[in-house]
Amino acid sequence: MNNNRTAWTMLLPAIGMVTLFIVVPFLMSVYFSFTDQRLLVNPNVPTEFIGGRNYLRLFEDGAFQNAFFRTATFAILVVPLQSAMGLAAAMLINSKLPMRNAFRTIYFLPTVISMVVVAVIWSSLYQTEGFFNSAVGALSFGTVPPIDWLNNEYLAMPSLVLLSCWQGFPFQMIIYLAGLQGINKETYEAAQCEGATRWQEFVHVTMPGLRNTHILVGMTTTIFAMKLFTQVQLLTQGGPRDVTDTMVRLIYMTGFKRGEVGKGAAASVIFFILVLVISYIQRKLVKEDRAIS
Amino acid sequence: MMKMTRRAALVGASVLATASMTTLTTTAFAADPIKVWTHGGKADGERGQLKTMIEAWNAANPAMPAVLEEQPEGAYNDQVQAAAASGSLPDLLDFDGPNYANYAWSGFIQPLDGLVSKEALADMIPSLIAQGTYAPDGKIYGLGMGDSGLALWSRKSLLEKAGVRIPKGVDDAWTMAEFEDALAKLQKVEGITHALDVKLNYGQGEWYTYGFSPIVQSFGGDLIDRTTWKAEGAINGKAAVEAMTHFQSWITAGYVVPKADGDDSFYGKKTSAISFVGHWMWGAHSKALGDDLILVPMPNWGGKHVTGNGGWCWGISKTSTQAENAGKLLNFLLSTKNVATLMNSAGGVPGVKSAAAEVALYKEGGPLNLYLAQLNAGMGYPRPAHPAYPTITASFAKAVADIVDGKPVQDSLNVAAKAIDQNISDNKGYPPFGKM
Repeated sequence: MNNNRTAWTMLLPAIGMVTLFIVVPFLMSVYFSFTDQRLLVNPNVPTEFIGGRNYLRLFEDGAFQNAFFRTATFAILVVPLQSAMGLAAAMLINSKLPMRNAFRTIYFLPTVISMVVVAVIWSSLYQTEGFFNSAVGALSFGTVPPIDWLNNEYLAMPSLVLLSCWQGFPFQMIIYLAGLQGINKETYEAAQCEGATRWQEFVHVTMPGLRNTHILVGMTTTIFAMKLFTQVQLLTQGGPRDVTDTMVRLIYMTGFKRGEVGKGAAASVIFFILVLVISYIQRKLVKEDRAIS
Repeated sequence: MMKMTRRAALVGASVLATASMTTLTTTAFAADPIKVWTHGGKADGERGQLKTMIEAWNAANPAMPAVLEEQPEGAYNDQVQAAAASGSLPDLLDFDGPNYANYAWSGFIQPLDGLVSKEALADMIPSLIAQGTYAPDGKIYGLGMGDSGLALWSRKSLLEKAGVRIPKGVDDAWTMAEFEDALAKLQKVEGITHALDVKLNYGQGEWYTYGFSPIVQSFGGDLIDRTTWKAEGAINGKAAVEAMTHFQSWITAGYVVPKADGDDSFYGKKTSAISFVGHWMWGAHSKALGDDLILVPMPNWGGKHVTGNGGWCWGISKTSTQAENAGKLLNFLLSTKNVATLMNSAGGVPGVKSAAAEVALYKEGGPLNLYLAQLNAGMGYPRPAHPAYPTITASFAKAVADIVDGKPVQDSLNVAAKAIDQNISDNKGYPPFGKM
């Protein structure tokens, strides 16, 4: 039992922090979501219980549904692309290239840079006279006029996806690198003895060997993608025509810009449940291989 | 205030330290000093000027010294709210124009009538009186040392080349038809890719309300009806829809500089001909364009000739134990000399009539005198001083963004009307508003 006590003692700081900064605020959100809590508490109109009005209001004007749909679109685009970029980069730096540590550092840089900085830099790449328009102009020999990437209903979301993947992929890369190094070398040797091509090796050895890594990367990337906010707030503010509005931005705008904390809390409670459900479904669909059963 | 600079108030502490040292040396037996709060993020010159003024006040009034404290601008509103909640508001404090309505409604601040001298009130430019007058009781709660100016910037040579009439003053400002005709002509001038820059690059925020609500008001619409305090019928009424339909047509016609073109299409790349922005661009514009720069009066878009205005103003807290002394200090700040000094370094429209002649930019014949002429002509139309202002401005800005993106005007404004009215009814109409 002594062992158990030590374990609990060591867990205590973590549990304390999680309770204080995650569990308690979440429970407060649930509570606020049933009140008309304002950001600026005012003596003239005290906070009252209003039952489910916040929840009803959320679904009334379609903004919430739109934000969910846009966020989901973003996740569906980002998760495969970012994971693929991460895997490709991981395989590159996992080979025995000279100076591979230097490459590892370089590839990891985008994730170290703050998203705010990345967004500001990319906003200039997307400008009328920015990099992307120059590239398109050069490739089309000047026949394609400059495109307003972030203000185009069809291109705004893909533009954000590209930026986000570039900023985020090194994180997936590191996880994949660990996964790759965990694959038994002998399986590769066996495959080579059987005369497998590099492609067959990738499909039949690397991919199955990364099964657990795929699951981890898929789930964490989905959760990260659902939290999309910074890029949107800095570059498109949800526009054009709400095609880049996201759930977190909706919560932010409701709670902090309009000061309707109660409604914002209701939105964040639903957001939490949605993310939970999505993660649960993902988990059910793909079962992890347990090395130790 | 529409100022885009935002700097950390690093010197706040030193201002406080210096000020309290002054206090210590000049007051032997005086009561508590007058506590003054101001927002950070101002230009260096402006900040220094205010400090000097408080020092001058302390030297002249050892019996009622003042202490100046600078609070970071980013969280200034939160600071005030928190101080109000804990009953520790300073005696004199400044706040951004339309925010004061919420303070007055919440009972944080008190009327300045009676605290500020009649002479000082009579000297204020009308737009600042209009901004500071709180509708429920008709009293003044906020007075600014300066105001902001909104009109059109252009290049004389371009207007002449395109054959566009240059208005001489407020009285012969362009009409909507003339303005749109000018856009069409300027669009054809060589080197001009977009005739009009309306600073879409500022993004969906306070600028959209500050800059574009005057167009709505010119047609007879408004963000909210100022007697019934209902948005329905005002922000989405016929007049507002007509105004914003014109606005959208400029975008559809390709006259307007897109967001992605950045800030400098007018003064840097010189690919746009008319820049619709406030007085704060004077520095950049005059430096780049010199004598060719011309300030064109705000067009009379829809029949009622209005312009945007408003900015930071001073008020006195309700909990102040020495409101009278704070009022005297405010009188002192609003004196001709102090307003002139501050506006000479800050560049805003001088808030008292008597100071105009002493501010080089705004005196008769000065390059920015037009702003003053507009405001003195009573064109200033303050943003609605209503406790729901945060929702009003966020909703209108969102509607403008949607209209820019091509969403039907009526639909966009309907959404705004509903959001505003819902917020007001959720707050039980913000009594006593809506019962007048």
